[in-house]
Amino acid sequence: MNKKVIVQSGNYLLLSLVALIMFFPVIWIISCSLKSLNDISSYPPQLIPLHPQFSNYLQILKGSHLLIYLRNTLILIVGNTVGTLISSSIVAYPLARMEFTGKRVVFALILATMMVPSTATIIPQFIMFGKFGWLNTLYPLIVPAFFAYPYNVFLFRQFYRTIPKSVDEAAMIDGCNHWQLFTRIIAPLSRPIFITIGVLSSVFWWNELFTPLIYINNELLKPLTVGALTYFTTQFTTLYNLEMAMAVFMIVPPMLLYLFAQRYLVEGIKTTGGKG
Amino acid sequence: MGQSGALTADRLRPLVESHGQRKKKWKTNLVAYAFLSPWIIGFILFSGVPILASFVLSLTHWDMISPPRFVGLENYQLLFSQDSGFWKSLYVTLEFTVLSVVVTVIWALIMALLLNKRVKGIGIFQFFYFVPAVLPSVAMAFVFQLIFNQQIGVFNYILSWFGVKNGPNWLMDQSLVIPTIVFISIYTYTTGQMMLIFNASLKEVPKELYEAAEIDGASAWQKFRHVTFPSISPVLLFNLVMATVGTLNGSFSLIYPLTGGGPGDATNVLSLAIFTSAFQNFQMGYASALSTILFILVALISYLQFALSKRWVSYES
Repeated sequence: MNKKVIVQSGNYLLLSLVALIMFFPVIWIISCSLKSLNDISSYPPQLIPLHPQFSNYLQILKGSHLLIYLRNTLILIVGNTVGTLISSSIVAYPLARMEFTGKRVVFALILATMMVPSTATIIPQFIMFGKFGWLNTLYPLIVPAFFAYPYNVFLFRQFYRTIPKSVDEAAMIDGCNHWQLFTRIIAPLSRPIFITIGVLSSVFWWNELFTPLIYINNELLKPLTVGALTYFTTQFTTLYNLEMAMAVFMIVPPMLLYLFAQRYLVEGIKTTGGKG
Repeated sequence: MGQSGALTADRLRPLVESHGQRKKKWKTNLVAYAFLSPWIIGFILFSGVPILASFVLSLTHWDMISPPRFVGLENYQLLFSQDSGFWKSLYVTLEFTVLSVVVTVIWALIMALLLNKRVKGIGIFQFFYFVPAVLPSVAMAFVFQLIFNQQIGVFNYILSWFGVKNGPNWLMDQSLVIPTIVFISIYTYTTGQMMLIFNASLKEVPKELYEAAEIDGASAWQKFRHVTFPSISPVLLFNLVMATVGTLNGSFSLIYPLTGGGPGDATNVLSLAIFTSAFQNFQMGYASALSTILFILVALISYLQFALSKRWVSYES
């Protein structure tokens, strides 16, 4: 009995130590966002601000383009999520529920393109979108979503495969064609994976830095990531306190999303490692 | 006699049905490829053609102002010459990738093992362990620049408790910046993803195996070595590949906001070098040569994955 208590306390101690390491950056962001610039530079550093400066948040809200950045990020999230849900769910259908010539090749290509880093294809894409006259617009960041992201196709396929084949046979006997089978039966049954990919896509586009950094120069079209980064690197001295206040605005929404959609987020990620 | 009759019928059936079947099959293929058409267009426009175009562009000089000029393999010659910075960039990429993969895979496994302890409130711990993974790298870069600051950083302050006076300037020191960034990579999405995958696979290890090991008097390490490890080894392999590809793909978002490739070129990984030469120096040909090399690197790793995946799939069934 005594030994059990010791083991349990040891477990809690270890669990808490790792929790502290992982969560410390978040604590520090919040702590520093409430300090004055003087307090941030003071030594030793304080965990709990002596003179909490809620005005930092107001200054960011009023003094920066935060709300415009936020609007742009939301446009990217909605556009990409709608686009990828429609296109990827359609593309995954034959891969999971039909037999056709070249299926293995197509699936192998989809798996292979999942690995290609965006830096390896960005230059020709940049030139192509330039020819379309799309530089400094949000189009290059949204339109590709409507042509199916391989990773999401893979997740949809994995989910479709868990639906029994007998569902298809019954529907076919009732005279459904593949399109009707997809829209009336498979897609409605796949609600959970639609939500999962919606959540994953939102997290991705909330955090995405590389592509908007390349396509967007116009201050009024920048998403949060690019806006925050360029806003603070153009100044001569870093206003750490305002930087941290901006960071608070950037970290709270994904944390809330995790709290409310934890089940979908965790399931989606685990599917990646599941049996192929 | 009866036997040969059956044989003939068997031979005839495919011949009779093949015409109708072929027609049906053709129709099925048409439907399937209609469903696939968004991906086919996307594959051509956003992967296939760009990869080929990148190679073609790598054979030119182009500053985006005057028209591109064909120069053959000059960009590659330039790249492979001693003073191009490419070798340094390639070295940093490989060094960072290897170290980061090893550290993040081990760390993700440790966290998953901890989350499998039978204690109350594990959901809260999972929140703390996983949440950094979904936060923007830009925000994390801001706070780590502050934490690892030489004068006012809290990390050096904590070191001073242990007698380390005048701690180093972690992100500005040529030899310390890579280890520091490798440490910061435990907060990335890839690490959180691996932790969840490990966590799920640990739950599937049969409990009887542990009980049997306990009866045999196995220590905690022996249980891990002989029960846990063999059961999760396919997932471990999968995660190693995920971490490698994730690190190569995600290095830009992690490193650019943190150091911008500096100090000097100490963290100028390939993705950053491509970004700088293409979109800041407008050397499109040279940058395309770098892209081509990065693509080949990733293709080699992906090929390795396919070769290895044959092994881990056999574990599953």
